[in-house]
Amino acid sequence: MPTIAELMRALPEETDRTADLAGTREPLAAASLRPVPVGRVRRIGLLGTLQARIAVAYLFYWVRGWFQNAGDREKSLAEAHWKTAMRLLDSMSYLRGAVMKAGQTLANFPDIAPAEFVETLDKLYYDAPPMHWSLLREMVCNELGNDPENLFASFEKRAFAAASLGQVHGARLRSGESLAVKIQYPGIARTIGEDFRNLGLFLLAGRLNKDWEHVKNQFDDLRMRLEQETDYAAEAAMLRKSRSLFRDEDGIVVPQVYPELSTARVLTMERIEGVHLDKFLEANPSQEQCNEAGRKVLRAWCRLQFAGRVLYADFHPGNFLFLPDGRLGLIDFGFVVPLDEDLWGLFARMDRPLTTGRREDLVATIKEWSRLTDAPADADQLRLQVEYAHVCWYPRYCGGEFDFGDDADFRRSLDIFTEMVGKRYSRGRPTSPVMARQQFGVRSILYRLKAKIDVRSICEQEVKAAGWDRSDYAWSGAYVTPHCTP
Amino acid sequence: MRVTAETQAATHERILEVAQELLAAKGFEATTTRDIAHGAEIAVGTLFNYFTTKEAIVATLAAEAVAGAHRKFGRGNFEADSFEEELFAFVAAGLRKLKPLRQHLPVVLETALSPLVLAGEDDGQSLRVSHLEAVLRLANKHGVKDLSPVALQIYWSLYTGLLLFWANDKSPRQEDTLALLDHSLEMFVSWLNSRLDDSLIKLPNKKELHYANHC
Repeated sequence: MPTIAELMRALPEETDRTADLAGTREPLAAASLRPVPVGRVRRIGLLGTLQARIAVAYLFYWVRGWFQNAGDREKSLAEAHWKTAMRLLDSMSYLRGAVMKAGQTLANFPDIAPAEFVETLDKLYYDAPPMHWSLLREMVCNELGNDPENLFASFEKRAFAAASLGQVHGARLRSGESLAVKIQYPGIARTIGEDFRNLGLFLLAGRLNKDWEHVKNQFDDLRMRLEQETDYAAEAAMLRKSRSLFRDEDGIVVPQVYPELSTARVLTMERIEGVHLDKFLEANPSQEQCNEAGRKVLRAWCRLQFAGRVLYADFHPGNFLFLPDGRLGLIDFGFVVPLDEDLWGLFARMDRPLTTGRREDLVATIKEWSRLTDAPADADQLRLQVEYAHVCWYPRYCGGEFDFGDDADFRRSLDIFTEMVGKRYSRGRPTSPVMARQQFGVRSILYRLKAKIDVRSICEQEVKAAGWDRSDYAWSGAYVTPHCTP
Repeated sequence: MRVTAETQAATHERILEVAQELLAAKGFEATTTRDIAHGAEIAVGTLFNYFTTKEAIVATLAAEAVAGAHRKFGRGNFEADSFEEELFAFVAAGLRKLKPLRQHLPVVLETALSPLVLAGEDDGQSLRVSHLEAVLRLANKHGVKDLSPVALQIYWSLYTGLLLFWANDKSPRQEDTLALLDHSLEMFVSWLNSRLDDSLIKLPNKKELHYANHC
């Protein structure tokens, strides 16, 4: 794994970057009849912060590794293309949030990112208000047909959170309800498609690499994520669906949407008052409070997956709120992947090894998921993936209380994952990046909570909603015991 | 028959009302001066006593809309954190008023509002003068005292470019125009800030303002 210094050295040169940014200031005359360059140089500066650039640099470092065995000329050419791609990526100001998220995902790897890095990223993500009030006011009027002061009893001019493609403001209805109003940068949704076409041209530099399919999946994952995140109408629909999945006794809340005050660019929701994970932990909660919070995180994940048939792809601490009464709030549904029939079938078959814990079931599922065979060429990848799956899943099929605060266990999963990435064992499904992020996201939150929970009992309660026929397999503690040490 | 000033004003107003309705219904090209005169119940020759061209009618409508927006904005006690933000609100208020005329603006932009057109006393010129005077007031309010004739000309070029873009903006609810306005003003104010120490920049007097409007 790279050190911070190595990452910094991998960054595109400062001078190049400055020149490139200057190049984005196109003459107004030329721009008058073309799509608007939405990004603002000053806002792009946000990406220039050390933390954000480390996240970008990490990506650069990673892709550079593909060419380590190539000839000098090839390597040099590939690096030139990648540096251009990185600079272009850097100039896509709307990626600010996505890069922050990438940074936060990176922050889940304690070997790479020091604690200060994690904290700074959190602050950067939540405290950056890039649109001024006049622009917001026009956006609200444009979208909702009236000024915010006429639509709401009060509207906070200063954003309380920055979303990846917009920002969130507090407001209040005349009837008293407290609201969170998410507003998107004007014109950004259409700009994304154009930028990704350009970025794709540079990414083609890696098409001959054996991992091209994997990169393409990652790239499509990012594009899909941004496309989804620009459609607030889809997010509103997902919020409504998800909200209906939880009952009062679950202690999990999803904000209510106000459809009359929402469009594809403005999303008005109930404002949930709570604190993020850092603040929650700062208050020194008891072990039982941490356990209960962990149970709710796990239950939310399972409920969405089994009853909602969706993957909540943004398992990031910033999307969870810990309410004073002990409830858990899920606040961002910008990136949720619906499970189509094929995936649902795979998940149904995956339930067998997750229930029985039998090694042969595990191997069969991994082979199907990653399209691996018994050929010697696949042997090492199969071995690692089975080992990784076991480390990730054994808390479920072994049953009993599992200590997610176990540092050694968390590091073990990281080590295997790192080895797989290092060996370019990337074959999987298009949703593999989402699943990996989800897996690490959940694990990371539970790790930070140091939660001790019975994973199996929660999963067993939730999996019933899937309606799968599980009559020919069942859990048996005695049966799986030999496998229950990672 | 002697026509009183009151009657003249009423006719002037009626012509504008009819023109606005016809422009909205039929568009600029399909609307003729004959249609407008007919709708206003006056002879075509009489219409030309008030407006020499169809373009002049649109320019007047635009000038009145913008003047209304300026008045409303002035009364609104809008509080902004920065010159850029208040300037954005000011321009956006004008766009709201101009919305019914949006698609007809290129006609005026090619004539009265064009930065290339020489001085005249028509409504396009009065719109330009009143708009730039308002910009100066906003600048002074925020302590930006160094708007030279060059700065005002740059601003006017940006503004008319924005109007042209807006007139052709096919994006949903013309959201791209908002982005362009944001981008343009950020660029303009950044440039102003970078030039604050430049000795060439100074507060323009009335004569210079007049020059800036007509150069």
